[in-house]
Amino acid sequence: MTIVRKAMLIDESRCTACRGCQVACKQWNDLDGWSYSKTTNQGSYENPPKLSPQTWTRIKFSEYESPQGFRWLFLKEGCMHCGTPACVDACPTSALKQQADGRVTVEPHLCNGCGYCTQFCPFHVPQIEVSNRMTGRAIISKCHFCQDRTDNGLTPSCVKTCPAQALFWGDRDKMVAAGKKRVETLKARGVTEASLYGETALGGLGRLYVLAEKPEAYGLPADPKYPYFATLWQNIVQPLGKIALGGTILGVIAAWAFIRKNIKMEEVE
Amino acid sequence: MNGQAQTTGHVFQIRWIPKYTFVERLLHWVHMVSFVPLVLTGLVFFLDFLKPLAQGEAGGWVRLVHRIAALIFIGEPVIYGILQPRRLWMHMREFSFERDDIAWIKNAFGYYVLGRHGVMPPQGRFNTGEKMNGMVMILTWFLFVVTGLTMWFGKGIVSINLFHLMVLVHDLTMIVSVCMLIVHLYLALAHPLMWAGLVSMRFGCISATYAAEHHAKWYYGPKRAKEIYEAKKASAPDAH
Repeated sequence: MTIVRKAMLIDESRCTACRGCQVACKQWNDLDGWSYSKTTNQGSYENPPKLSPQTWTRIKFSEYESPQGFRWLFLKEGCMHCGTPACVDACPTSALKQQADGRVTVEPHLCNGCGYCTQFCPFHVPQIEVSNRMTGRAIISKCHFCQDRTDNGLTPSCVKTCPAQALFWGDRDKMVAAGKKRVETLKARGVTEASLYGETALGGLGRLYVLAEKPEAYGLPADPKYPYFATLWQNIVQPLGKIALGGTILGVIAAWAFIRKNIKMEEVE
Repeated sequence: MNGQAQTTGHVFQIRWIPKYTFVERLLHWVHMVSFVPLVLTGLVFFLDFLKPLAQGEAGGWVRLVHRIAALIFIGEPVIYGILQPRRLWMHMREFSFERDDIAWIKNAFGYYVLGRHGVMPPQGRFNTGEKMNGMVMILTWFLFVVTGLTMWFGKGIVSINLFHLMVLVHDLTMIVSVCMLIVHLYLALAHPLMWAGLVSMRFGCISATYAAEHHAKWYYGPKRAKEIYEAKKASAPDAH
């Protein structure tokens, strides 16, 4: 049996921003409710203000002026589980792994806290919990689609809890089909800007959004790109470096063997 | 013999002359003690077969050692520059290239790799190869410090693209400087013509005959060194 790619479909046209997913995520993954997330008024109803090592998913509120008037756009933020995950490529410890079914999972005991994943993710999703800036003690965390649940055939806890029927979990091709169908329905109802986000970008995202407006209105990059420097670093500089180091070592060994034979030490000053 | 050594019976006596000051030697060894751990801990992240050392708790220690060594690496030239700025400036001048260096580079392969005892153009206290080593060390020091400190303290503060560039440049700098370190270790420890280097870096002294042969411009002064060089070339246009 071949392993099919899994995905989460998020229908933002149905999301009511109840934030039950945030609570379910914290509950299942045993995340702290208070660190990083003390409620402060920052001119928006959204809370907590951003993803943090203890907040792996949250509903982002975007204020939107549509022709019909002001309204909120809700976006369930979290790891996109890219088909070509730059974080996995940048991770020097294999703490981040891409599973055969497309989930990008986390093994915290392998993480050494370097934080490259936080810098190479095109969506700035992974968060490091820094315990000491001088020594660099830190640990990574991010949404891993509740790997302990999905490994055992359950849905991620946020999908399980969503009362608005906005979250779906299943084989990726089915999710894509369902998402496209929903986009058609929305368009037929007059939501002209409706689109399915993440079908092909970055090798196809594992987190698909049905959006009612343009991606930019939600604060999503319209055309997310695999970081250019990561390609240069991983595919060119690192192999060339290994060739250069190996070549130099072999070169000096050869030079040593050669000169040992050829030099006339009695002529050396 | 140029009169620097005298044979008394069967005993060949070497006349030792000072080459490196105590502080110069101290600087060299402190630099080594910081740079070698930096290279070893850095390679843990670069070479795939060392990945187990990069993981988890072990990786945390590797990163800590890298940072402690980095503080020595950064601090040692800075302290030297504060205490002895004129000598630091002198080194910069000693490491600058001159016309003789071109001729040296042309002949170096035959001399040091093939072992032909041709006539080498006269050199100062540092020969062209040592100057290149010195210049690359100064340049890579700046690159290491800027990129390293940015990655250490700038994560999440500097722009993503700048951070990516820092990672890339840190790697490229490492490749250049480690290749040079390998060649440096080979010449210092294994090359038969370079026996005097390790002695002088340990004790500060060098054999006068060796100095006359390899560092003529420093030993005789530029004018006399040039005369000797021209005379040697005339008598043996393509020696050996």
